[in-house]
Amino acid sequence: MFKFFKKKPMRKKPIKPKPIRKRPIKPKVVPKRVAPIRKGYDVKALFEPSGVVIVGASDAKTGTAPALFRSAVDNMSRTYKGKTYIIDLSGKMEGAFKDVKKIREKVELAVLALPQNLVLKNVKKVADAGVRAMVVSPSYGQEQRRELLGAKKQGVRILGPNSTMGVINTRTGLNTSLEREMMPKQGGIAIISQSNSVGAAVLDLACLRGIGISKFVSLGDKIDVDEAELVNYLSNDDDARVICISMGDVRDGRKFVDALRAAAEKKPVVVLRAGIARLEDRIYDAAFKQARAIRVRDVEEMLDVANALAKQPPMAGDKIVIISNAHGPAVLAMDAMHREGLTLAKLDEKTVKGIFQRYPDIDAANPIDLGMEARAKQYELVMKNVLADPNVDGVIVINMLKSSLLDVDDMRAIAEVLKKFKKPVVDVAMGGESYVLVHDVLKDTNVPAYDSPERASRALKALRMYGRVKEKSKAPPVPKVTKKPKAARKR
Amino acid sequence: MAAKKSVLEFISSIKAKKRRELLEFEAKKLISIWGIHTTHAELAHDVQEAVKLAREIKYPVVLKVASPDIIHKSDVRGVKVGLSSELDVKHAFEEIMANVRANKPNANVLGVTVQEYVPPAREVVVGMVHDKTFGPTVMFGLGGVWVDVMKDVSFRLAPLTRDDALEMISEVKGYPLLTGTRGAPPADIEALADIIQRVGQLAAEVPEIVEMDLNPVFVFDKGKGAVAVDARIVLREG
Repeated sequence: MFKFFKKKPMRKKPIKPKPIRKRPIKPKVVPKRVAPIRKGYDVKALFEPSGVVIVGASDAKTGTAPALFRSAVDNMSRTYKGKTYIIDLSGKMEGAFKDVKKIREKVELAVLALPQNLVLKNVKKVADAGVRAMVVSPSYGQEQRRELLGAKKQGVRILGPNSTMGVINTRTGLNTSLEREMMPKQGGIAIISQSNSVGAAVLDLACLRGIGISKFVSLGDKIDVDEAELVNYLSNDDDARVICISMGDVRDGRKFVDALRAAAEKKPVVVLRAGIARLEDRIYDAAFKQARAIRVRDVEEMLDVANALAKQPPMAGDKIVIISNAHGPAVLAMDAMHREGLTLAKLDEKTVKGIFQRYPDIDAANPIDLGMEARAKQYELVMKNVLADPNVDGVIVINMLKSSLLDVDDMRAIAEVLKKFKKPVVDVAMGGESYVLVHDVLKDTNVPAYDSPERASRALKALRMYGRVKEKSKAPPVPKVTKKPKAARKR
Repeated sequence: MAAKKSVLEFISSIKAKKRRELLEFEAKKLISIWGIHTTHAELAHDVQEAVKLAREIKYPVVLKVASPDIIHKSDVRGVKVGLSSELDVKHAFEEIMANVRANKPNANVLGVTVQEYVPPAREVVVGMVHDKTFGPTVMFGLGGVWVDVMKDVSFRLAPLTRDDALEMISEVKGYPLLTGTRGAPPADIEALADIIQRVGQLAAEVPEIVEMDLNPVFVFDKGKGAVAVDARIVLREG
């Protein structure tokens, strides 16, 4: 890989005496001082640079480069709070420099939104400008990748190539992506995606659902910056409460698993990976399990689960209570919950009594049916009682707006109650329009809302899985096996 | 660690013989150094030696053909079990030699291994392979059709914690067979987890071993242990 680092082979022939020079001696050319090969900057420079330079060629004829250039410029000018420099190699864009050398101030991140050949031509120049990290958008073959890696000699970190969705940091407004109008709101979910498209789908859905994102990064062909390093960085980033990874294959499995395991000790890690029909995926799956990462099936589940993990506490047990204003959805929720390995809680007598004294009509067996006339008051009282019950680990609250007297305004009051408790609660509003209404009320609260009991149950399951991780971290380390086993002997 | 040193010495003695694959009795020696319970097995070059070893190991014994060219010993009818007398052993020896000559005439046969007989129990498989991405990886499955037909196996990266081992055992679909169903007592899952953990630890600490297959491992009823009845180990090239 690093052929150009290799020393020249030792000269074997004896050195002949040099012939006497006939021509006049030329002045000695002093080689330009090259910075020594260094270990490489931290990937932090990708997300939190002081100063960004976007390098493009606005009149380039080929491919996506000009569009990407304009998008990045547009995104940054709209949202980025720091300083952005624009270099247009074509010299046509207004307010842009024509040469990287023109930049006198510190720039740590460079976005190379150039066609293939121009990236290779300019990568050295950009590295010389003192940047610490680069986002490279076009894709390359093996040989050209090697050329790209030349920039690493100066310690510059390379994201990509083929990272068209680039980097987003919602705190600073940094957004180098190809896509415009897709800046998610600030929140606690960090996203790493190898695929640009899957990453874009996650962002798109997060925007639609109003789910807050802290940072986003699209890896592309990862000749340098890889999953392990990003997981490691995000595990130490206080803005990220949950780390989501959409991935394919990793190069160094052990390095990845170690990073994943260390991160999962600190915060929940959610993983999406395609390929379940292949044998090798079994090993990946085992690795995820050992690292205590939570594997999901698709993009929707990834955000469903991550949203719950970002907003709700880990769940201490499997025992669930279902509170509903309609019977049918509650029964469906029971099935969904069982499918995820959760069980119905048996309510404490005190809880049942507390509910009965105030509302004798409510059937306080689990699932608790509030009846179609239930309003916020009934929900409030029942939830207060249930959440204080030591036999209860988590709650599914179902509120059907259709076929009942419940109003969307009741949801505000319900959300207020739920804020005060430290047990996981998820909300289900089955249906279409009514879900949109409920979701609109709840999206800015700490209660995740889902349109089906299945989605809600999977979210609770993830909260339980993370609860187990927390218990495991507290448990003493497993002793090493060294002695002969006692068990297997004479029979 | 003393066990590691002995294992490495053992491995270099095999390498000195220019072999990559250990014979069954060698593989069993190696894993028993690592604390994995296995049936006592010794190599007998001829019939007299077989009889002598059988007496030492104590009847009943099992005889299996010993040849670097034969991996599936029962396929060439090279296994005889439940031998309880000198006469049995003598007959079995001749029979195995005849069978092998008939079924695999070109095989280089060193003799037979004489092994301790263990009563039947629930059979499982514990294996280890080197994954190109993740390195040493431990496999577990229930024996026979469960592995061959149902592909009912689970994996974990080596080394494993006790929780990892217990989790990978409980993950296979046939798990209820081990916990005890229809009046059958539960199997010694702790002893099995111990073997799995030790295989994982061996794989992680001794990278010279690239493939390991304990098939079958007999798991006895709870509290009575588990034992590797057959073992195969392949070393790294060079």
